[in-house]
Amino acid sequence: MTTAPAQRKPSDYKSDLKPIWCPGCGDFGVLASLYRAFAELDLDPTNTVVVSGIGCSSRLPGFVTTYGVHTLHGRPLPVAMGVKLANPELTVIAVGGDGDGFAIGAGHFPHAARRNIDVTYLVMDNEIYGLTKGQASPTSLTDQKAPTTPWGNLETPLNTLAFAIASNASFVARGASFNTKALTELIVQAIEHKGFSYIDALSPCVMFNNKQEAWKELVTDVEPDHNPADRTGAFDLALRGGFQLGILYRELRPTLDDKYAALIERTPDSDIVAMMDSFSARKGTAIGKPVV
Amino acid sequence: MARESVVIRLAGESGEGVISSGDILTQAAARGGYWTQTFRTYPAEIRGGPCMYQVRMGKDRIYSHGKEVDLLVCFNQEAWDLHWDSLAADGVILYDETAVAIPAEFQDRARPVRMEKLAKEIGGSSRAKNMVAVGAVCGVIAFDTTPIEELVMRRYAHKAGVADANIAALQAGKDESADLNGSKEITPPVETEEDRVLMSGNQAIALGAVAAGLDYFGGYPITPASDILEWLSAKLPATGGITVQCEDEIASLASVIGASYAGAKAATATSGPGLSLMSELIGYAGMAEIPCVIIDAQRGGPSTGLPTKTEQSDLQHALYGGHGEAPRVVIAPVSVEDCFWATVDAFNYAERFQVPVILLTDQGLGTRMEVISKPDLSKVEQWQRKTAVDVEGQAKRYELTDDGISPMGLPGQPNGQYVATGIEHDEYGHPDYTPEMHTTMQHKRWRKLDPLANGAARHEYYGNTQPDIAVIGFGSTYGPVREAVDMALADGLSVGAFYPRVLGPFPVETVREFTAKASRVIVPEINFTGQLARLVRGEVGITVDSQAKCDGLPFTAEDIHEMITEAVR
Repeated sequence: MTTAPAQRKPSDYKSDLKPIWCPGCGDFGVLASLYRAFAELDLDPTNTVVVSGIGCSSRLPGFVTTYGVHTLHGRPLPVAMGVKLANPELTVIAVGGDGDGFAIGAGHFPHAARRNIDVTYLVMDNEIYGLTKGQASPTSLTDQKAPTTPWGNLETPLNTLAFAIASNASFVARGASFNTKALTELIVQAIEHKGFSYIDALSPCVMFNNKQEAWKELVTDVEPDHNPADRTGAFDLALRGGFQLGILYRELRPTLDDKYAALIERTPDSDIVAMMDSFSARKGTAIGKPVV
Repeated sequence: MARESVVIRLAGESGEGVISSGDILTQAAARGGYWTQTFRTYPAEIRGGPCMYQVRMGKDRIYSHGKEVDLLVCFNQEAWDLHWDSLAADGVILYDETAVAIPAEFQDRARPVRMEKLAKEIGGSSRAKNMVAVGAVCGVIAFDTTPIEELVMRRYAHKAGVADANIAALQAGKDESADLNGSKEITPPVETEEDRVLMSGNQAIALGAVAAGLDYFGGYPITPASDILEWLSAKLPATGGITVQCEDEIASLASVIGASYAGAKAATATSGPGLSLMSELIGYAGMAEIPCVIIDAQRGGPSTGLPTKTEQSDLQHALYGGHGEAPRVVIAPVSVEDCFWATVDAFNYAERFQVPVILLTDQGLGTRMEVISKPDLSKVEQWQRKTAVDVEGQAKRYELTDDGISPMGLPGQPNGQYVATGIEHDEYGHPDYTPEMHTTMQHKRWRKLDPLANGAARHEYYGNTQPDIAVIGFGSTYGPVREAVDMALADGLSVGAFYPRVLGPFPVETVREFTAKASRVIVPEINFTGQLARLVRGEVGITVDSQAKCDGLPFTAEDIHEMITEAVR
């Protein structure tokens, strides 16, 4: 009789690289939650890929023992899509900050969501640019002062949860770095969810926007009677603002990777020999649009 | 006396049947056993605007679209106004009797065709105008219409009435050219057992990608590259691969890089504006050493430029575009046939050297139809990347090796884990930007390309290999240059052409050898600043005569022949 291999521990996912983050950074709490979620799911590091963009939080792939791609500023989602479509067996997690995801990378977000590619997107939202030293981000509050908004931010912050629901994300949740138990559970559920899952994780920047204490006062749990299958209700909840932690929206619909697999399955097999023959000068009819 | 090749130009308003007439004629010529090459101009608008479709067909291999028009078919007055001066001295004209007024001095070689009337009365609908026009053309060149009838029967296999009406319209058109019939008689084709195919450059690229083992293609629609994405979208799933129409060109290449990271052979196709957007990711792929293929069907620039015209103005961008200095391979096919082989090469170079490879074609080469020898698929090689299969312990993804090529862990392979990154890094991929590390790693990344600079790449020569008059070009200008070299050799000149198929890394020694005995080096190219001329001067250190033009049109053999003749004077 063989014994089942021991379940992996959170520390098994910890790499030898020490995080470069400032002491007290919220991203430590998010990373700890990620280790625990991986362990709870007993993910095989060999079959897991963590993809990131550029920014403090985007250094995260270096701190886990899985495969990783540290991409360009704003580009983790299309890279993650390519990874997942090329090998749907992999568990793919994209991570990054609010500037990476919702300023330079915002053009990719609604498309990843509506495609329902089976990727978990974990955003460490500190409402500021940390790596470049404190400039306003798309989630910074109106009137907030920062080096680029010395007279106060003139803009309205982006409501990323409402954006996600409006874009047809099939799993939308909010967590916080200072509530690692709940965040761990959200990450577990997001990874288990078949489809595009978005978690906005509040993650205070201790250097440039330290709102940890204020946020701790503001957060509440999503009310127990909220039905995550109710898209209109979820949208209402997102628009209400505030800091409600938990799952706002969840639906199950076919993922893009499943649809491609089905497409390949139902397409009659062909090969380069047959394709080349269709262009035969003597017999072919290959002028014009290809016929499926 | 019969002609070995004829140039037929059809012109009119887009949507009038010009394009379909050209397509029918091209396909019929191919079926009839002729070599052909086409050349089209497109209006940028979806409907309306002048368009023209030129078909050159002949008994011998055709390398360029031809200059002087033997037979001009005008669907409207504007067609005559725009194209009459392209006529050969003895060129003849067919024109829509209701729409075109031909000046008196041309009337003895112009014949009216009742396109609309015959289409309606005999063809059953004005849509049969193309059959009337093609029929009239067949009369002039004395082309047996059997292959066209076969095409019609096949197209309307289940609508016998429509097929009969179309064939009747074709025959009626043939009678319209009346006494011009046979005036441009074409020599019968050479009977051969050789397999030939008829395709465009873009189609050859798509087929080359499939032959090379393409798994993933991410693209964004852009003229003149869209039909690569379209063709693959229809066909790739049949091989187990997929295409994704992405939200922009950045996402296209980003997803390609992601797919390749996961082990797929991956590619994208675009034109100049898309290449600009991809620049940052090309640098990333060079730095993170992720294989990928980027097809750039160049069009007129800068900015939106001339979307439907041809240009070769992305060369410097392909070679150097992007910040920092990231290695990449730039490869330029010289013909439709070479589009197939260069694409196979592009994938193989990308996989072996773990670099982005940019394949430079252009609007002219990508969209023209050409009869080519059927590529021998048994000669296709598929090179695989070096992976981290049997690695013990932690993989050194960026291991310093003699050839610079390191084992690449693929997700799913045990012990292969690493973080691909655009940050300067050590052998493990860990961030490290000490002066020593950056120097070491730049050397490592760039030395991967040494074999391609030193003889591993195949280049194209024509004529003398160490000529007095040397012509150096790249890409689509090869056809007219080749024909011009033949003309100049017939003039008794010492002349030859060299076409580097791989331009980055540049084959410096090969060019030096080729130009060793040259008194003049001519560099024709379709751009404003003479980018290849600058490259040759800079890399080889020789004086060259830049012959750059930026009118959005391909060179003709006569243009090049004139340059060579001028050089001798």
